[in-house]
Amino acid sequence: MVCVSRIPRRDEATFAEVLGAHPDFPRLIAIKIDVQRRGLHYTRRAMAAVDPTRHQIYMWEGVAYPHSMLLRDGTTILAYPQPRDRNPYDVDFIDGAFVLIDAGQVVETVELWPKPLYYDKKTSSGLPMKEVVSARPQRLDIFASSFCHFAHVDDQGCQFCPLPHHHSQLREAYDLPTRLKPEDVKECIAEALKEPGRFTNIHITGGSVIKGREMLDAELDYYIKLLRAIGEVFATPRFPSQLLASPFSEKQLIRLREETGLGSYTSNIEVLDEQRFNWICPGKAHHIGYREWKDRLVRAVDIFGRGNVNTGIVGGVETAAPHGFPSEAEALRATLDEAEDLAQKGVTTVHTVWAPQKGSKFSELRSPSLDYFIRLASGLQEIRARHGLSVDFDDYRRCGNHPDSDLARLQ
Amino acid sequence: MTSRLSPAVTALLDDPETIKILATVGADGAPHAVAKQSLHLGEDGCLHYLELLESSTTNKNMVRSLWFDGTVAITLAHRDGRSVQIKGRPIKVHITGELFQRHYRALRLSDPEADLASVWVIEPVAVTDQNARVRREAEAVRHPHFLHLDRLARAQ
Ligand code: SF4
Repeated sequence: MVCVSRIPRRDEATFAEVLGAHPDFPRLIAIKIDVQRRGLHYTRRAMAAVDPTRHQIYMWEGVAYPHSMLLRDGTTILAYPQPRDRNPYDVDFIDGAFVLIDAGQVVETVELWPKPLYYDKKTSSGLPMKEVVSARPQRLDIFASSFCHFAHVDDQGCQFCPLPHHHSQLREAYDLPTRLKPEDVKECIAEALKEPGRFTNIHITGGSVIKGREMLDAELDYYIKLLRAIGEVFATPRFPSQLLASPFSEKQLIRLREETGLGSYTSNIEVLDEQRFNWICPGKAHHIGYREWKDRLVRAVDIFGRGNVNTGIVGGVETAAPHGFPSEAEALRATLDEAEDLAQKGVTTVHTVWAPQKGSKFSELRSPSLDYFIRLASGLQEIRARHGLSVDFDDYRRCGNHPDSDLARLQ
Repeated sequence: MTSRLSPAVTALLDDPETIKILATVGADGAPHAVAKQSLHLGEDGCLHYLELLESSTTNKNMVRSLWFDGTVAITLAHRDGRSVQIKGRPIKVHITGELFQRHYRALRLSDPEADLASVWVIEPVAVTDQNARVRREAEAVRHPHFLHLDRLARAQ
Protein backbone atom coordinates (compact mmCIF):
# COMPACT_ATOMS: atom_id res chain seq x y z
CA MET A 1 0.00 0.00 0.00
CA VAL A 2 1.39 3.35 -1.02
CA CYS A 3 0.34 6.59 0.52
CA VAL A 4 -0.81 9.09 -2.05
CA SER A 5 -3.72 11.46 -1.84
CA ARG A 6 -7.04 9.73 -2.52
CA ILE A 7 -9.06 11.24 -5.30
CA PRO A 8 -12.77 10.54 -5.17
CA ARG A 9 -13.61 7.93 -7.81
CA ARG A 10 -15.92 8.93 -10.54
CA ASP A 11 -19.41 7.57 -10.32
CA GLU A 12 -18.70 4.33 -12.15
CA ALA A 13 -17.93 0.67 -11.52
CA THR A 14 -14.47 -0.12 -10.14
CA PHE A 15 -11.76 -1.63 -12.31
CA ALA A 16 -12.12 -4.97 -10.49
CA GLU A 17 -15.88 -5.02 -10.99
CA VAL A 18 -15.57 -4.31 -14.70
CA LEU A 19 -12.81 -6.84 -15.25
CA GLY A 20 -14.73 -9.41 -13.20
CA ALA A 21 -17.49 -9.20 -15.80
CA HIS A 22 -14.95 -9.97 -18.56
CA PRO A 23 -12.88 -12.93 -17.33
CA ASP A 24 -11.58 -13.65 -20.84
CA PHE A 25 -10.18 -10.17 -21.30
CA PRO A 26 -6.50 -9.69 -20.36
CA ARG A 27 -6.09 -7.59 -17.24
CA LEU A 28 -3.01 -5.85 -18.67
CA ILE A 29 -4.92 -4.63 -21.72
CA ALA A 30 -7.75 -3.44 -19.47
CA ILE A 31 -5.17 -1.48 -17.46
CA LYS A 32 -3.84 0.06 -20.65
CA ILE A 33 -7.33 1.16 -21.67
CA ASP A 34 -8.14 2.55 -18.26
CA VAL A 35 -4.90 4.53 -18.10
CA GLN A 36 -5.52 5.94 -21.57
CA ARG A 37 -9.10 6.79 -20.67
CA ARG A 38 -8.30 8.49 -17.38
CA GLY A 39 -4.79 9.75 -18.10
CA LEU A 40 -1.70 9.97 -15.95
CA HIS A 41 -0.14 12.03 -13.26
CA TYR A 42 3.61 11.69 -12.63
CA THR A 43 4.58 12.17 -8.99
CA ARG A 44 7.58 14.35 -8.16
CA ARG A 45 9.47 11.21 -7.18
CA ALA A 46 8.75 9.69 -10.59
CA MET A 47 9.79 12.84 -12.41
CA ALA A 48 13.03 12.93 -10.41
CA ALA A 49 13.76 9.34 -11.47
CA VAL A 50 13.30 10.08 -15.16
CA ASP A 51 16.69 9.92 -16.82
CA PRO A 52 16.83 11.98 -20.03
CA THR A 53 19.88 10.01 -21.13
CA ARG A 54 17.87 6.76 -21.12
CA HIS A 55 14.20 7.73 -21.37
CA GLN A 56 12.22 9.54 -24.02
CA ILE A 57 10.94 12.94 -22.99
CA TYR A 58 8.04 14.62 -24.76
CA MET A 59 6.54 18.09 -24.74
CA TRP A 60 2.76 18.37 -24.48
CA GLU A 61 1.11 21.72 -23.89
CA GLY A 62 4.39 23.22 -22.75
CA VAL A 63 5.08 20.50 -20.17
CA ALA A 64 7.94 18.01 -20.52
CA TYR A 65 7.13 14.49 -19.35
CA PRO A 66 8.14 10.90 -20.13
CA HIS A 67 6.84 9.80 -23.48
CA SER A 68 4.70 6.84 -22.43
CA MET A 69 5.31 3.42 -20.96
CA LEU A 70 5.54 -0.30 -21.49
CA LEU A 71 3.82 -2.95 -19.44
CA ARG A 72 5.62 -6.20 -18.65
CA ASP A 73 3.85 -8.03 -21.53
CA GLY A 74 5.33 -5.53 -24.01
CA THR A 75 2.07 -3.60 -24.27
CA THR A 76 2.51 0.09 -24.90
CA ILE A 77 0.49 2.66 -22.97
CA LEU A 78 0.35 5.94 -24.83
CA ALA A 79 -1.30 8.27 -22.37
CA TYR A 80 -1.14 11.92 -21.49
CA PRO A 81 -1.14 13.80 -18.23
CA GLN A 82 -4.66 14.74 -17.22
CA PRO A 83 -5.97 17.07 -14.53
CA ARG A 84 -6.93 15.66 -11.14
CA ASP A 85 -10.66 15.88 -11.79
CA ARG A 86 -10.27 13.24 -14.50
CA ASN A 87 -9.09 10.81 -11.80
CA PRO A 88 -5.80 9.93 -13.53
CA TYR A 89 -3.54 7.05 -12.52
CA ASP A 90 -0.40 8.08 -10.67
CA VAL A 91 3.02 7.03 -11.86
CA ASP A 92 5.42 6.77 -8.94
CA PHE A 93 8.97 5.45 -8.47
CA ILE A 94 9.23 2.90 -5.67
CA ASP A 95 12.07 0.48 -4.82
CA GLY A 96 13.90 1.27 -8.03
CA ALA A 97 10.95 0.79 -10.37
CA PHE A 98 8.26 2.94 -11.96
CA VAL A 99 4.80 1.81 -10.85
CA LEU A 100 1.22 2.60 -11.78
CA ILE A 101 -0.96 3.49 -8.85
CA ASP A 102 -4.74 3.60 -8.66
CA ALA A 103 -6.46 4.80 -5.50
CA GLY A 104 -3.28 4.37 -3.50
CA GLN A 105 -2.59 0.79 -4.66
CA VAL A 106 0.27 -0.29 -6.88
CA VAL A 107 -1.35 -2.04 -9.83
CA GLU A 108 1.63 -2.77 -12.09
CA THR A 109 5.28 -2.01 -12.66
CA VAL A 110 5.98 -0.14 -15.89
CA GLU A 111 9.00 0.86 -17.92
CA LEU A 112 9.43 4.19 -19.63
CA TRP A 113 10.03 4.14 -23.35
CA PRO A 114 13.75 3.79 -24.00
CA LYS A 115 15.50 6.60 -25.80
CA PRO A 116 17.05 5.65 -29.15
CA LEU A 117 20.66 6.60 -29.89
CA TYR A 118 19.83 8.96 -32.74
CA TYR A 119 17.81 11.24 -30.43
CA ASP A 120 20.84 13.32 -29.48
CA LYS A 121 21.86 13.98 -33.08
CA LYS A 122 21.04 16.72 -35.55
CA THR A 123 20.39 16.57 -39.27
CA SER A 124 22.95 18.16 -41.55
CA SER A 125 20.41 20.98 -41.96
CA GLY A 126 20.66 21.55 -38.19
CA LEU A 127 17.32 20.11 -36.99
CA PRO A 128 17.14 17.95 -33.87
CA MET A 129 16.55 14.45 -35.23
CA LYS A 130 14.12 13.55 -32.45
CA GLU A 131 11.79 16.31 -33.64
CA VAL A 132 11.93 15.18 -37.25
CA VAL A 133 11.41 11.47 -36.62
CA SER A 134 10.19 10.39 -33.22
CA ALA A 135 10.36 6.89 -31.81
CA ARG A 136 8.07 4.39 -30.18
CA PRO A 137 9.58 1.29 -28.62
CA GLN A 138 9.79 -0.44 -32.01
CA ARG A 139 8.55 2.13 -34.52
CA LEU A 140 9.80 5.25 -36.23
CA ASP A 141 7.15 7.97 -36.36
CA ILE A 142 7.03 10.74 -38.92
CA PHE A 143 4.52 13.53 -38.43
CA ALA A 144 5.22 14.89 -41.86
CA SER A 145 2.99 17.93 -41.84
CA SER A 146 1.27 19.93 -39.14
CA PHE A 147 -1.02 21.55 -41.69
CA CYS A 148 -4.50 20.13 -42.06
CA HIS A 149 -6.82 21.72 -44.59
CA PHE A 150 -9.95 20.73 -42.69
CA ALA A 151 -8.71 22.34 -39.48
CA HIS A 152 -6.69 25.27 -40.74
CA VAL A 153 -8.53 26.44 -43.85
CA ASP A 154 -12.16 25.44 -43.41
CA ASP A 155 -12.27 25.44 -39.60
CA GLN A 156 -13.90 22.05 -40.01
CA GLY A 157 -11.29 19.96 -38.22
CA CYS A 158 -12.33 16.77 -36.46
CA GLN A 159 -13.78 17.80 -33.14
CA PHE A 160 -11.67 15.45 -31.02
CA CYS A 161 -8.38 16.35 -32.73
CA PRO A 162 -5.69 18.38 -30.95
CA LEU A 163 -2.95 17.41 -33.37
CA PRO A 164 -2.75 20.37 -35.76
CA HIS A 165 -2.79 22.71 -32.74
CA HIS A 166 -0.20 20.64 -30.90
CA HIS A 167 2.12 20.12 -33.82
CA SER A 168 2.00 23.75 -34.83
CA GLN A 169 3.25 24.52 -31.30
CA LEU A 170 6.08 22.01 -31.65
CA ARG A 171 7.03 23.24 -35.09
CA GLU A 172 7.27 26.79 -33.79
CA ALA A 173 9.24 25.77 -30.69
CA TYR A 174 11.86 23.93 -32.74
CA ASP A 175 11.67 26.06 -35.88
CA LEU A 176 10.67 23.03 -37.92
CA PRO A 177 9.18 23.53 -41.38
CA THR A 178 5.38 23.04 -41.64
CA ARG A 179 6.14 20.11 -43.89
CA LEU A 180 9.26 18.03 -43.25
CA LYS A 181 11.86 17.84 -45.98
CA PRO A 182 12.28 14.30 -47.35
CA GLU A 183 16.11 14.58 -47.12
CA ASP A 184 15.90 15.40 -43.41
CA VAL A 185 13.61 12.44 -42.77
CA LYS A 186 15.81 10.10 -44.79
CA GLU A 187 18.88 11.19 -42.85
CA CYS A 188 17.17 10.53 -39.51
CA ILE A 189 15.97 7.09 -40.56
CA ALA A 190 19.41 6.11 -41.83
CA GLU A 191 20.82 7.15 -38.47
CA ALA A 192 18.11 5.31 -36.51
CA LEU A 193 18.79 2.07 -38.37
CA LYS A 194 22.37 2.07 -37.08
CA GLU A 195 20.96 0.78 -33.79
CA PRO A 196 20.41 -2.95 -34.35
CA GLY A 197 17.14 -4.45 -33.11
CA ARG A 198 15.56 -1.11 -32.31
CA PHE A 199 12.84 -0.64 -34.94
CA THR A 200 10.40 -2.81 -36.87
CA ASN A 201 8.22 -0.29 -38.68
CA ILE A 202 7.99 3.22 -40.12
CA HIS A 203 4.79 5.16 -39.65
CA ILE A 204 4.06 8.30 -41.62
CA THR A 205 1.16 10.66 -41.15
CA GLY A 206 0.15 14.30 -41.39
CA GLY A 207 -2.87 16.49 -41.84
CA SER A 208 -5.06 16.37 -44.95
CA VAL A 209 -4.13 18.50 -47.95
CA ILE A 210 -6.92 18.60 -50.50
CA LYS A 211 -5.19 20.73 -53.16
CA GLY A 212 -4.19 19.31 -56.53
CA ARG A 213 -5.35 18.61 -60.06
CA GLU A 214 -7.35 15.77 -58.59
CA MET A 215 -8.39 16.41 -55.00
CA LEU A 216 -5.60 15.26 -52.61
CA ASP A 217 -2.94 15.16 -55.35
CA ALA A 218 -0.75 17.60 -53.42
CA GLU A 219 -0.81 15.35 -50.34
CA LEU A 220 -0.14 12.27 -52.45
CA ASP A 221 2.75 13.87 -54.37
CA TYR A 222 4.42 14.83 -51.13
CA TYR A 223 4.08 11.36 -49.61
CA ILE A 224 5.43 9.76 -52.77
CA LYS A 225 8.49 12.01 -52.60
CA LEU A 226 8.93 11.28 -48.93
CA LEU A 227 8.54 7.52 -49.32
CA ARG A 228 10.92 7.41 -52.26
CA ALA A 229 13.53 9.25 -50.20
CA ILE A 230 13.02 6.82 -47.31
CA GLY A 231 13.17 3.90 -49.76
CA GLU A 232 16.73 4.86 -50.66
CA VAL A 233 17.78 3.74 -47.19
CA PHE A 234 16.63 0.16 -47.85
CA ALA A 235 18.12 -2.58 -49.99
CA THR A 236 14.70 -4.09 -50.74
CA PRO A 237 11.99 -2.53 -52.93
CA ARG A 238 9.41 -2.76 -50.11
CA PHE A 239 9.94 -2.10 -46.44
CA PRO A 240 7.66 -2.49 -43.38
CA SER A 241 5.81 0.80 -43.29
CA GLN A 242 2.39 2.34 -42.79
CA LEU A 243 1.03 5.50 -44.33
CA LEU A 244 -1.89 7.04 -42.48
CA ALA A 245 -3.28 9.50 -44.98
CA SER A 246 -6.40 10.86 -46.62
CA PRO A 247 -8.57 8.46 -48.60
CA PHE A 248 -6.99 8.52 -52.02
CA SER A 249 -8.80 7.59 -55.20
CA GLU A 250 -8.04 4.33 -56.94
CA LYS A 251 -5.78 6.06 -59.44
CA GLN A 252 -3.89 7.77 -56.64
CA LEU A 253 -3.57 4.54 -54.65
CA ILE A 254 -2.08 2.76 -57.65
CA ARG A 255 0.56 5.49 -57.91
CA LEU A 256 1.25 5.20 -54.18
CA ARG A 257 1.72 1.45 -54.44
CA GLU A 258 3.72 1.44 -57.65
CA GLU A 259 5.96 4.44 -57.11
CA THR A 260 6.98 3.72 -53.52
CA GLY A 261 8.03 0.85 -51.25
CA LEU A 262 5.11 1.42 -48.88
CA GLY A 263 3.94 -1.74 -47.09
CA SER A 264 0.48 -0.81 -45.83
CA TYR A 265 -2.15 1.88 -46.08
CA THR A 266 -4.48 3.38 -43.51
CA SER A 267 -7.10 6.06 -43.80
CA ASN A 268 -8.94 6.89 -40.61
CA ILE A 269 -12.69 7.20 -40.86
CA GLU A 270 -12.71 8.04 -37.12
CA VAL A 271 -16.40 7.29 -36.49
CA LEU A 272 -18.31 4.31 -37.88
CA ASP A 273 -21.70 5.93 -38.29
CA GLU A 274 -22.63 8.36 -41.04
CA GLN A 275 -24.68 10.76 -38.95
CA ARG A 276 -22.04 11.04 -36.19
CA PHE A 277 -19.25 11.19 -38.76
CA ASN A 278 -20.92 14.21 -40.35
CA TRP A 279 -21.08 15.97 -36.99
CA ILE A 280 -17.70 14.96 -35.58
CA CYS A 281 -15.61 15.18 -38.76
CA PRO A 282 -17.25 17.99 -40.76
CA GLY A 283 -14.24 18.56 -43.02
CA LYS A 284 -13.97 14.91 -43.93
CA ALA A 285 -17.72 14.76 -44.46
CA HIS A 286 -17.76 17.87 -46.63
CA HIS A 287 -14.86 17.00 -48.93
CA ILE A 288 -15.08 13.21 -49.11
CA GLY A 289 -18.21 11.91 -47.39
CA TYR A 290 -18.77 8.84 -45.28
CA ARG A 291 -19.77 6.39 -48.00
CA GLU A 292 -17.06 7.47 -50.38
CA TRP A 293 -14.52 7.10 -47.55
CA LYS A 294 -15.60 3.52 -47.01
CA ASP A 295 -15.56 2.82 -50.76
CA ARG A 296 -12.04 4.15 -51.09
CA LEU A 297 -10.85 1.93 -48.26
CA VAL A 298 -12.34 -1.10 -49.96
CA ARG A 299 -10.70 -0.18 -53.26
CA ALA A 300 -7.38 0.11 -51.46
CA VAL A 301 -7.60 -3.60 -50.59
CA ASP A 302 -7.45 -4.47 -54.30
CA ILE A 303 -4.25 -2.47 -54.58
CA PHE A 304 -2.42 -3.14 -51.30
CA GLY A 305 -3.89 -6.59 -50.59
CA ARG A 306 -5.89 -8.09 -47.72
CA GLY A 307 -4.22 -7.57 -44.39
CA ASN A 308 -2.47 -4.42 -45.58
CA VAL A 309 -5.33 -1.92 -45.35
CA ASN A 310 -7.09 -0.67 -42.28
CA THR A 311 -9.01 2.25 -40.87
CA GLY A 312 -8.81 3.79 -37.45
CA ILE A 313 -11.63 4.99 -35.27
CA VAL A 314 -11.41 7.17 -32.19
CA GLY A 315 -13.09 4.64 -29.94
CA GLY A 316 -15.73 6.20 -27.73
CA VAL A 317 -16.10 9.50 -29.57
CA GLU A 318 -19.32 8.17 -31.07
CA THR A 319 -20.84 8.60 -27.60
CA ALA A 320 -19.86 12.29 -27.34
CA ALA A 321 -22.56 14.65 -26.13
CA PRO A 322 -24.83 16.06 -27.38
CA HIS A 323 -25.19 14.37 -30.80
CA GLY A 324 -23.44 11.07 -30.16
CA PHE A 325 -25.29 7.83 -29.54
CA PRO A 326 -27.51 8.14 -26.49
CA SER A 327 -26.37 4.81 -25.03
CA GLU A 328 -23.16 2.81 -25.06
CA ALA A 329 -25.09 -0.27 -26.20
CA GLU A 330 -26.36 1.50 -29.33
CA ALA A 331 -22.95 2.97 -30.06
CA LEU A 332 -21.31 -0.43 -29.78
CA ARG A 333 -23.84 -2.19 -31.98
CA ALA A 334 -23.63 0.43 -34.72
CA THR A 335 -19.83 0.55 -34.65
CA LEU A 336 -19.34 -3.21 -34.76
CA ASP A 337 -21.94 -3.61 -37.54
CA GLU A 338 -20.04 -1.15 -39.69
CA ALA A 339 -16.68 -2.75 -38.82
CA GLU A 340 -18.17 -6.09 -39.87
CA ASP A 341 -19.26 -4.61 -43.20
CA LEU A 342 -15.73 -3.31 -43.83
CA ALA A 343 -14.12 -6.58 -42.73
CA GLN A 344 -16.27 -8.52 -45.20
CA LYS A 345 -14.63 -6.40 -47.88
CA GLY A 346 -11.09 -6.88 -46.56
CA VAL A 347 -10.65 -3.72 -44.47
CA THR A 348 -9.82 -4.19 -40.81
CA THR A 349 -10.67 -1.61 -38.14
CA VAL A 350 -8.58 -0.57 -35.16
CA HIS A 351 -9.53 1.81 -32.39
CA THR A 352 -7.79 4.26 -30.15
CA VAL A 353 -9.13 5.22 -26.74
CA TRP A 354 -10.79 8.60 -26.80
CA ALA A 355 -9.59 10.75 -23.93
CA PRO A 356 -10.74 14.33 -24.54
CA GLN A 357 -7.64 16.45 -25.10
CA LYS A 358 -6.81 20.07 -24.51
CA GLY A 359 -6.64 21.86 -27.83
CA SER A 360 -9.59 19.90 -29.24
CA LYS A 361 -13.19 21.07 -29.49
CA PHE A 362 -14.31 18.11 -27.40
CA SER A 363 -11.84 18.85 -24.60
CA GLU A 364 -14.50 19.23 -21.92
CA LEU A 365 -16.40 16.02 -22.69
CA ARG A 366 -16.13 12.68 -20.95
CA SER A 367 -15.07 9.39 -22.50
CA PRO A 368 -17.23 6.29 -22.07
CA SER A 369 -16.81 3.51 -19.53
CA LEU A 370 -14.05 0.93 -19.29
CA ASP A 371 -16.69 -1.70 -19.94
CA TYR A 372 -17.48 -0.04 -23.27
CA PHE A 373 -13.87 -0.08 -24.38
CA ILE A 374 -13.41 -3.72 -23.38
CA ARG A 375 -16.45 -4.67 -25.46
CA LEU A 376 -15.25 -2.53 -28.36
CA ALA A 377 -11.72 -3.98 -28.37
CA SER A 378 -13.01 -7.56 -28.07
CA GLY A 379 -15.66 -6.97 -30.72
CA LEU A 380 -13.23 -5.56 -33.27
CA GLN A 381 -10.74 -8.36 -32.69
CA GLU A 382 -13.46 -11.02 -32.98
CA ILE A 383 -14.55 -9.54 -36.32
CA ARG A 384 -10.96 -9.50 -37.56
CA ALA A 385 -10.37 -13.10 -36.55
CA ARG A 386 -13.70 -14.25 -38.01
CA HIS A 387 -12.80 -12.76 -41.39
CA GLY A 388 -9.24 -14.07 -41.31
CA LEU A 389 -7.78 -10.58 -41.52
CA SER A 390 -4.41 -9.78 -40.03
CA VAL A 391 -3.25 -6.48 -38.60
CA ASP A 392 0.49 -7.21 -38.46
CA PHE A 393 1.47 -3.72 -39.58
CA ASP A 394 -0.56 -2.03 -36.82
CA ASP A 395 -0.23 -4.46 -33.91
CA TYR A 396 1.00 -4.19 -30.30
CA ARG A 397 4.57 -3.78 -31.47
CA ARG A 398 4.41 -1.98 -34.82
CA CYS A 399 2.01 0.55 -33.26
CA GLY A 400 0.86 -0.13 -29.70
CA ASN A 401 -2.02 2.33 -29.58
CA HIS A 402 -4.93 -0.02 -30.31
CA PRO A 403 -6.26 -2.29 -27.56
CA ASP A 404 -8.04 -4.44 -30.16
CA SER A 405 -4.87 -5.11 -32.13
CA ASP A 406 -3.05 -5.91 -28.86
CA LEU A 407 -5.50 -8.81 -28.63
CA ALA A 408 -4.39 -9.98 -32.10
CA ARG A 409 -1.26 -11.39 -30.44
CA LEU A 410 -3.32 -14.52 -29.78
CA GLN A 411 -4.86 -14.71 -33.27
CA MET B 1 6.09 -18.26 -5.36
CA THR B 2 9.58 -18.11 -6.83
CA SER B 3 11.80 -21.18 -6.52
CA ARG B 4 15.50 -20.47 -6.69
CA LEU B 5 17.36 -22.84 -8.95
CA SER B 6 19.99 -24.98 -7.22
CA PRO B 7 23.61 -24.97 -8.41
CA ALA B 8 23.03 -28.46 -9.85
CA VAL B 9 20.08 -27.27 -11.95
CA THR B 10 21.98 -24.16 -13.00
CA ALA B 11 24.92 -26.33 -14.09
CA LEU B 12 22.56 -28.51 -16.13
CA LEU B 13 21.04 -25.39 -17.71
CA ASP B 14 24.50 -24.06 -18.56
CA ASP B 15 25.73 -27.31 -20.11
CA PRO B 16 25.70 -26.92 -23.93
CA GLU B 17 24.90 -30.64 -24.28
CA THR B 18 21.70 -30.39 -22.27
CA ILE B 19 18.49 -30.75 -24.29
CA LYS B 20 16.03 -28.03 -23.26
CA ILE B 21 12.33 -28.46 -23.99
CA LEU B 22 9.68 -25.81 -23.32
CA ALA B 23 6.09 -27.05 -23.07
CA THR B 24 3.21 -24.57 -23.30
CA VAL B 25 -0.55 -24.96 -23.56
CA GLY B 26 -2.87 -23.63 -26.27
CA ALA B 27 -6.29 -22.04 -25.81
CA ASP B 28 -7.88 -25.44 -26.47
CA GLY B 29 -5.68 -27.14 -23.87
CA ALA B 30 -3.44 -28.71 -26.50
CA PRO B 31 0.16 -29.15 -25.28
CA HIS B 32 2.96 -27.77 -27.42
CA ALA B 33 6.51 -28.83 -26.59
CA VAL B 34 9.54 -27.60 -28.52
CA ALA B 35 13.30 -27.48 -28.04
CA LYS B 36 14.50 -24.06 -26.87
CA GLN B 37 18.25 -24.29 -26.59
CA SER B 38 18.43 -20.59 -25.77
CA LEU B 39 16.97 -21.21 -22.30
CA HIS B 40 19.38 -19.80 -19.76
CA LEU B 41 19.53 -18.28 -16.31
CA GLY B 42 18.93 -14.54 -16.41
CA GLU B 43 20.53 -12.02 -14.10
CA ASP B 44 17.22 -11.74 -12.24
CA GLY B 45 17.30 -15.44 -11.21
CA CYS B 46 14.57 -16.32 -13.71
CA LEU B 47 14.78 -18.46 -16.81
CA HIS B 48 15.08 -16.53 -20.06
CA TYR B 49 14.70 -17.75 -23.61
CA LEU B 50 14.86 -16.13 -27.02
CA GLU B 51 11.73 -16.36 -29.15
CA LEU B 52 12.66 -15.90 -32.78
CA LEU B 53 9.21 -15.97 -34.34
CA GLU B 54 6.52 -13.47 -33.41
CA SER B 55 3.70 -15.64 -34.72
CA SER B 56 4.88 -19.00 -33.39
CA THR B 57 2.52 -21.18 -31.38
CA THR B 58 4.89 -21.03 -28.43
CA ASN B 59 4.95 -17.24 -28.49
CA LYS B 60 1.16 -17.05 -28.54
CA ASN B 61 0.89 -19.60 -25.75
CA MET B 62 3.41 -17.64 -23.71
CA VAL B 63 1.40 -14.43 -24.17
CA ARG B 64 -1.74 -16.28 -23.10
CA SER B 65 0.03 -17.66 -20.02
CA LEU B 66 1.28 -14.23 -19.06
CA TRP B 67 -2.14 -12.66 -19.54
CA PHE B 68 -4.10 -15.33 -17.71
CA ASP B 69 -1.59 -16.46 -15.11
CA GLY B 70 -0.87 -19.83 -16.70
CA THR B 71 2.20 -22.01 -16.22
CA VAL B 72 4.68 -23.68 -18.54
CA ALA B 73 6.99 -26.67 -18.09
CA ILE B 74 10.66 -26.87 -18.98
CA THR B 75 12.49 -30.17 -19.25
CA LEU B 76 16.27 -30.27 -19.09
CA ALA B 77 17.76 -33.62 -20.06
CA HIS B 78 21.39 -34.66 -20.42
CA ARG B 79 22.69 -37.87 -21.93
CA ASP B 80 24.58 -38.56 -18.68
CA GLY B 81 21.17 -39.19 -17.05
CA ARG B 82 20.64 -35.86 -15.33
CA SER B 83 17.13 -34.59 -15.93
CA VAL B 84 14.88 -32.04 -14.23
CA GLN B 85 11.52 -30.51 -14.86
CA ILE B 86 10.90 -26.88 -13.96
CA LYS B 87 7.38 -25.53 -13.67
CA GLY B 88 7.36 -21.82 -14.29
CA ARG B 89 5.25 -18.77 -14.89
CA PRO B 90 5.91 -16.32 -17.74
CA ILE B 91 6.08 -12.96 -15.99
CA LYS B 92 7.61 -10.60 -18.52
CA VAL B 93 8.65 -10.27 -22.11
CA HIS B 94 11.31 -7.94 -23.46
CA ILE B 95 10.48 -6.64 -26.93
CA THR B 96 12.80 -3.65 -26.80
CA GLY B 97 15.40 -2.12 -24.50
CA GLU B 98 18.95 -2.91 -23.49
CA LEU B 99 18.57 -6.60 -22.71
CA PHE B 100 16.60 -7.24 -25.90
CA GLN B 101 19.11 -5.43 -28.07
CA ARG B 102 22.05 -7.20 -26.45
CA HIS B 103 20.51 -10.57 -27.34
CA TYR B 104 19.57 -9.31 -30.80
CA ARG B 105 23.17 -8.35 -31.58
CA ALA B 106 24.56 -11.64 -30.28
CA LEU B 107 21.96 -13.67 -32.16
CA ARG B 108 22.62 -11.89 -35.43
CA LEU B 109 26.35 -12.50 -35.02
CA SER B 110 25.78 -16.22 -34.61
CA ASP B 111 23.08 -16.45 -37.28
CA PRO B 112 22.90 -13.58 -39.78
CA GLU B 113 19.53 -14.87 -41.09
CA ALA B 114 17.84 -14.76 -37.70
CA ASP B 115 15.55 -12.11 -36.25
CA LEU B 116 14.50 -11.81 -32.62
CA ALA B 117 10.87 -11.37 -31.60
CA SER B 118 11.20 -11.38 -27.84
CA VAL B 119 13.13 -12.43 -24.78
CA TRP B 120 10.80 -14.20 -22.36
CA VAL B 121 11.24 -14.25 -18.62
CA ILE B 122 9.92 -17.32 -16.79
CA GLU B 123 9.80 -17.36 -13.03
CA PRO B 124 10.52 -20.88 -11.72
CA VAL B 125 7.87 -22.06 -9.26
CA ALA B 126 8.79 -25.74 -8.78
CA VAL B 127 11.70 -27.99 -9.72
CA THR B 128 11.40 -31.79 -9.91
CA ASP B 129 14.37 -34.11 -10.33
CA GLN B 130 13.44 -36.35 -13.27
CA ASN B 131 16.50 -38.60 -13.09
CA ALA B 132 15.16 -42.17 -13.49
CA ARG B 133 16.84 -43.57 -10.39
CA VAL B 134 15.77 -40.66 -8.21
CA ARG B 135 12.17 -40.88 -9.44
CA ARG B 136 12.10 -44.69 -8.90
CA GLU B 137 13.36 -44.41 -5.36
CA ALA B 138 10.85 -41.68 -4.54
CA GLU B 139 8.01 -43.81 -5.98
CA ALA B 140 9.09 -46.83 -3.92
CA VAL B 141 8.96 -44.81 -0.71
CA ARG B 142 5.65 -43.05 -1.40
CA HIS B 143 3.76 -45.81 -3.24
CA PRO B 144 5.00 -49.26 -2.10
CA HIS B 145 1.97 -50.94 -3.78
CA PHE B 146 2.95 -49.74 -7.24
CA LEU B 147 5.16 -52.56 -8.48
CA HIS B 148 5.02 -56.00 -10.05
CA LEU B 149 5.21 -58.91 -7.63
CA ASP B 150 7.76 -60.85 -9.69
CA ARG B 151 10.27 -58.18 -8.80
CA LEU B 152 9.93 -59.22 -5.14
CA ALA B 153 9.93 -62.99 -5.68
CA ARG B 154 12.73 -65.13 -4.19
CA ALA B 155 15.26 -66.23 -6.76
CA GLN B 156 14.60 -69.92 -7.57
S1 SF4 C 1 -7.94 14.00 -37.34
FE1 SF4 C 1 -9.11 15.42 -38.65
S2 SF4 C 1 -8.53 17.49 -38.00
FE2 SF4 C 1 -7.02 16.07 -37.12
S3 SF4 C 1 -5.34 16.12 -38.59
FE3 SF4 C 1 -6.67 14.39 -39.16
S4 SF4 C 1 -8.13 15.20 -40.65
FE4 SF4 C 1 -7.14 16.97 -39.65
